[in-house]
Order: sequence, then structure tokens, then C-alpha cells
Amino acid sequence: MVATLAACGGGGSGGGATGSGSSFILGTTETVTAMDPAGSYDFGSWNMQYNIFQQLVNIPPGGTTPQGDAAKSCTYQDPKTLTCHLQPGLTFSNGDKLTSSDVKFSFERNIAINDPNGSAVLLGSITDASDPNNPKLASGAIETPDPTTVVFHLNKPDTTFIKVLTTATASIVDEQVFPADKLLPDNKVIGSGPYELSQYKAGEQAVLSANAKYQGAHKPKTDRIFVQYFNDPAPLKQAIASGQVDIAWRTLSPTDLNSLESNSDVNVIRGKGSEFRYWVFDLKTQVGKQLAIRQAVAQLIDRQAIAQKAYDGTVQPSYSIVPPGFAGQKDSFKTKYGSPSVSKAKALLDKAHIQTPITIKLGYTPTHYGPNTVDEANELARELNNSGLFKASVGDAEWEQYQTLYKQGAYDLFILGWYPDFLDADNYLTPFLRDGGFYANGYNNPQVNSLLDQELGSTNPQDREKTFGQIQDIVAQDVPLVPSWNGQNVAVAGKDMTGIAQTLDPTYIFRFWLIGKKG
Amino acid sequence: MSAGSGSLPRYIGQRVLLVIPMILILVTVVFLLLRVAPGDPVTAAVGGKLDPQAIALRRHQLGLDQPLYVQYFEYLKNVVTFNFGHTISDNRPIIDVIRDNGGATLTLTLGAFIFALAIGIPLGLIAGRMRDTAPDVVIRIFGVVTYAAPIFWTGLLLVILVAPTGWPTYDIASPETKFLVHPITHVLLLDCILQGNIPATLDVLQHHLLPCLTLGLLLCGVFIRLVRVNLLQSLQGDYVEAARARGIPEKFVIRRHAFRNALVPVITIIGLQVALTMAGAVLTEKTFNWPGIGNQLVKYLDARDYNAVQGLVTFFAVVVIIVSVLVDIVNAMIDPRVRY
Repeated sequence: MVATLAACGGGGSGGGATGSGSSFILGTTETVTAMDPAGSYDFGSWNMQYNIFQQLVNIPPGGTTPQGDAAKSCTYQDPKTLTCHLQPGLTFSNGDKLTSSDVKFSFERNIAINDPNGSAVLLGSITDASDPNNPKLASGAIETPDPTTVVFHLNKPDTTFIKVLTTATASIVDEQVFPADKLLPDNKVIGSGPYELSQYKAGEQAVLSANAKYQGAHKPKTDRIFVQYFNDPAPLKQAIASGQVDIAWRTLSPTDLNSLESNSDVNVIRGKGSEFRYWVFDLKTQVGKQLAIRQAVAQLIDRQAIAQKAYDGTVQPSYSIVPPGFAGQKDSFKTKYGSPSVSKAKALLDKAHIQTPITIKLGYTPTHYGPNTVDEANELARELNNSGLFKASVGDAEWEQYQTLYKQGAYDLFILGWYPDFLDADNYLTPFLRDGGFYANGYNNPQVNSLLDQELGSTNPQDREKTFGQIQDIVAQDVPLVPSWNGQNVAVAGKDMTGIAQTLDPTYIFRFWLIGKKG
Repeated sequence: MSAGSGSLPRYIGQRVLLVIPMILILVTVVFLLLRVAPGDPVTAAVGGKLDPQAIALRRHQLGLDQPLYVQYFEYLKNVVTFNFGHTISDNRPIIDVIRDNGGATLTLTLGAFIFALAIGIPLGLIAGRMRDTAPDVVIRIFGVVTYAAPIFWTGLLLVILVAPTGWPTYDIASPETKFLVHPITHVLLLDCILQGNIPATLDVLQHHLLPCLTLGLLLCGVFIRLVRVNLLQSLQGDYVEAARARGIPEKFVIRRHAFRNALVPVITIIGLQVALTMAGAVLTEKTFNWPGIGNQLVKYLDARDYNAVQGLVTFFAVVVIIVSVLVDIVNAMIDPRVRY
């Protein structure tokens, strides 16, 4: 047996290949919860759905403004009314026509199924949640006056809703195939997107084939794509380094990426990302509730040192809770605090008559955000301790326990991470600031809440940007959280792969239709 | 001692009946351990994304806010009716997880046993035959090291050594093979053979080499020591002395007398190693991204997927228990010294 195996030679794609048409292999550590858009709220699932389904609008590579996909256009008549006109003659991959009825059906079932793993929570503006256990599409929320027109009537002014339409939760499904009240099994999903799902082995691989009936603007460059799922970054790194996969995307550590830079067989391609890492104050603790202490920490944090020492320079220091590149972003923390300064931090504490050193407990989790988080936590603690103004200690817990602990007030300051659902500054503001944010840290500023309502209700981009700026300034003043860094969108690929740099943008949508393989 | 002092059918019946409380205890322990561990499937998935009200709603949808005893009896009811339910984190029928991934674990463990026996038995014989010589010492050290070394360490070492050659270092087959071979038995190797796809069969065998060798090295340490000790004992037996006294050449004494007797305990030990193999398979599958049940178990543990973990651990336990009972029964049948 050994001699026979030796005679086969090596290579990860040996044996059994048909070789017809172009193809490539992408390896990822992301997992798929469901191929059905109503059943998922994670990167792995959404990435497949972006390639299998169409949405009414999408974000072009490198862009931030929605453009037509299944729809020719989607425009607001007022902050509560959005009208979309479909492209004519669209079909699903099984030949069924795609009409406004399918669009309405897609949203209706998503809300009604309300899967525990799903993202129907993003559709709050068209949901009747009077009975939280039985949410449904609000009466009159979606009108379909003709087969190519869809009108959304929102239950509140929400100018981010058009961005929600770009997400995978707004994928359009065939009402003749997808059940209205439950998820469709993964290997049966069909869509109208550039690719169709030819095979899905849960936890192993998915195979996408170019959709011959696709009529959109994103014609695939490659006929067939194998997506291989890895449970750990270590075998993924080995696989890309040895050429067994053509592309490795999400998630290799900064250390792995830097070591692959010296591999002459691959390219490490870095694009702009929107990942955000931040430290949250628990305003319910003795330390967290004191504004001067929070401001002193904001004055002392050396983001450059964190980026360099903890992440080998692979992340960008962040001076706002809204990442650069987003309309309305401003580096409010830099404007207010400038460079790290012990004397300025001391002045803040002295003015508030706070005795030093202040005992402060930092919290982090080593499991959820990658192995470098421990380095960041230790570096921040070191910076605080070196100032002489703080006695910082660091505690950690596995992700599950961490969530319990920080909610119980075990830490004065704890680290969290964020990826946006859609590219709008509001997606970095509302979840963090309204009523204490999703982490319930006790922050409650009525002015901020009012400004959030104001920007959500405005269709004027300039007005929204101005409001975003005001909110960011208030956050820099109140310091309910301290921004740390923004991440990149990184892929590692063989030298013969093309189109990857184009798709690496803050949306984290891996647009398979852009990717090709030379030769 | 008189042979057949008890009733074999009664012995078998007793062993089979004992399986029920064993599984009940195991199911209960797993249920409680999972609930005691912090977090749940909802917080594992969206804890860093949704506010407490949204999380509470999802927990309510999944019945996770019900009293523990209600959840427990609901789960027991499903186990008794063989309704393992669906995974929470990705909505798969748990029976499908076992069906789709069980074959990979099966071929991995069988391949590991083949390696373990092919390496362990000859080395054990050599060590026993050449007692207290340099080969004996080297082999014994080898056996200890392979047994003591963590599987992921051995596996990663082999990957680092082999990867530059282009040999596949992860997964059970190439993507094309997995795409082309239609699942009949859901054991990929068998399906390749049944469909007469020789390139695919060779591809699968090629992928099996490293993981099976890694797990096999763990097991062979056990067999080396066992065969060596048993051979030494056999060589001291009266029948061996008698054979030598009759002028039989030493090599025939070893081969036809001592060796065969030394192997009898190995057969029973193979069954008892199933538990070790299953545990080793979990680590091996994680190291090599092997699509077996062990890999799925780790994934679902990370996701705090109660249903999946309970179902898969129960499956593992049932397999181990059944194999142990079968080994006991076979042992009772072939070895008259076993009392029942």
C-alpha cells in the first residue's frame, strides 16, 4: 500500500478530478450556519449567500454607496418610504422568474421564521414585533404594485435601511422553492446570483458552479469554486503555504500572515477592513463611573505601540469608534487627546481630585478574538502602569465565561471586537451607544440618543455626516469606550490568482465572480 | 476450576442490560456538564453582537430558559425514542452528522489500527526476542515516546516534514474527489471502491496516510509493550522449554509456539483500545482537518451546541460500550479461564 501511495505523487488535488472548466480552491476557517438567508447571521453563511443570491442593491468593490443589483434603482421618497424597481427579465437558476412577489416573500418569511441563528433582527424597520414571540411583516410594510416594483413603508425613519438591503439577510429567494415557515435544507438552496450551489458537505466543503441563467452585471471569471472549511488556522496555513489551496481567507493570525510574507510561492494581499477593536468601560463600577478616570485612560493609551507590539504592525490605530473611510468619520479622540501624555492624564485626575494610583481591572478573552489579544491587554496594562497613575491588572476568561463576567461587572475595562452588518457609520454608533449598547455598560446619554434618531431620520448625507461628527465628539468627551484599532481584510493567494485585491474591502464580501486563475 | 461454571447466555444478557444504566449515567453527566459550563449556543454565536433582550428572546425560542429538569426530561424523552434532534448552531439532524462524518472516523481508526499492528507487533516481537540488547532498548524508548507524545505534536511534526513533498496534509480527499464521488455508504473510501473510481480511491488512500500513521503511532506504543511482555512470558513457559528440549530450532520455537501465544492477549486488548482510539481520533481529526465525528464534536463544543454534543458523545459512548461488551463476550467464549 505504501509503495502504491508513493507512486501517486503528491498534490492536494490528485485523483478523481474531471478537469473540465476553470476552478480554484478557497480555504477558510469560517463556518456556515445555514445557506438559507433566513437562517444565518455569520460571515461564513453570508459569504456564500452573496454569491448564490442577489439582493436588491449591493455595495460595489471598494465602494460604500449601494448600487443596483437585482434592482435598477432604490430611492427614498422620504425617510420612511423606499421604492425599488427591479431589472426586467430576471430568473432564478432553475428558470423561475424573479418578481416583486419573490422579494416580498423573502422578507416576509425571514421575519416569520425568525430563526434563532438568523438575522431578522436587522429588519426591525418593517417588522411588527407587537408579539415578540411571533414577529411578522408589518401590515403594509411591503407593497408590490407590479411585478417589477417594490415599495417599503418603514415603521420609523431609517435611512440605513437601504444599506440593510445590501446585506445577505435581504437575499431574494424563489417563493416556489423556499418554504414560508421553515428553512430550506442547505443543499437545496437556489438563487439568482452569479453562482449556484452544486454541492454542500457541512463542515467540509461547498462547491459553487457558475449560474448559466445569471443575468446580472457580475459575470463569473471562474466556472467552479471549491470552498474548503478548516476547523483551525494551523492546517489552513500549511495548506496555503504548500499550495494545496489557492486562496486562504479568514482567519490567519498576524504572526502567520507575517511569516507567509516570506513565502515566495504566495502573495499576502491586504485590503481595507472594517473590523474594530475597542475597550469598553463598565460605568457601573467605581472606576468606570468616574469620567476623569475614563478620560485619563483615553489620554494614556498608546495605540501605535499596541498596533506594533501586539499585532506586528498589521492593524491601524483607531481614533474614533467609526472607522476611516466611512462618511462622517472624524478622529475625535485624536483631536481631543492628541498623543499619549502622562502629564495631561495626571492633570485630568488632579482636577477631579482623584487619588492615584488607581486600581483598575482589565479584561480580555484569549479565545474569541485571536491569540494576539493577550498581547494587547498586557500592553495596555503596561502603559497604564508605567504612567504611575494606575495599578492595572489583567484578567481573562474563555469567551462564554467572559461575556458573563463582563456583564457582572468583573472588569472595569474590557475588550470587545466588532464587524459591521453594513457599511454605515450608524452601525458603529447605535449598537454601542443607545441605552448602554448591546453590552449594557450603563452609558446613557439622551443627547446621543436624540442625535442617533436625527441621523437615522435624515436622507441628507451632509446632515447625517454632521450629526455623526457630533456623536463622535461626545463619545470622545464621555469615553464610554476607547477605540483601539481597525483591522485589514487580508487574503493569502497563490501567485496565479487574480482579482483578489479588488474584493478585499471593508464589506468583507468575498466576491467570487471577480476571482480568476491564470493558466 | 471447571469450565462453563456459569451460563454464557445469562452472562451476555447481564452485560447487555448493564448498557442501559451506563448510557443513562453518561447522558446525564454530559447534560449536566454542558449546562454547568458558562454560556450557551446563543451567546456563543451572537454574544458579541446583540443586546440582552435579543439574546433572551433567542434563548426562549430554543427553550434554554426553561428549568433544567424540564430540559433534562425533554432530552431523555428524545433519547429513549431515538430522536436525537437537530444541532442548534447549524440546524443539522444529528443523525445526519453521525452518518455523514462517521465514515471518516471509521476509516481513520481502522487505518490507525492497521498501522499500529503493522508497526507494533513486529517491533514488540523483536524487542522481546532480543531482550536487554540495544534494539530492545531503542524499541522500548520508541514505544514510550510514541505513546506519550501528544497526538497534535506528532501530527504537526509529520505535516512539517511531509508538506514540502507535495503530499496532502489535511482532509480525507481532494475537493474534486469529494465532489465527484456520490455517497452510497457514506464511507468515502468504500464509495470510491464501489463506484470503481480508482484515481479517487488512490486519492483517498493517499490522504489517509498521515492521519492514520499519527494515530497509529499512539496505539503502537501499547502493542509494542504488550507483545514484548507476553513474548517474554511465553518464552519462559514450560511448553517452550519442552520444545527446545525436543531439539526444535529456536526460530521455530519462537514462531510457532511463543509468538502465537503472545498474540492472544493482543486480540482482546484491541477491543479495549477503542476508547483510546476514539479519544485519539478527536485530536487527530482536529490536527488534520479530518471530517470525522471528532472534528464535529470539537466544533459543536466551541459553539456550546448542547444537542449536538450530547448526541455525539452518546454515540461515542454507545460505540465504546458495545465494542467492550463484544470483546468481553468473545473473550468469554474463547478463553475458558474467564469465569461467568
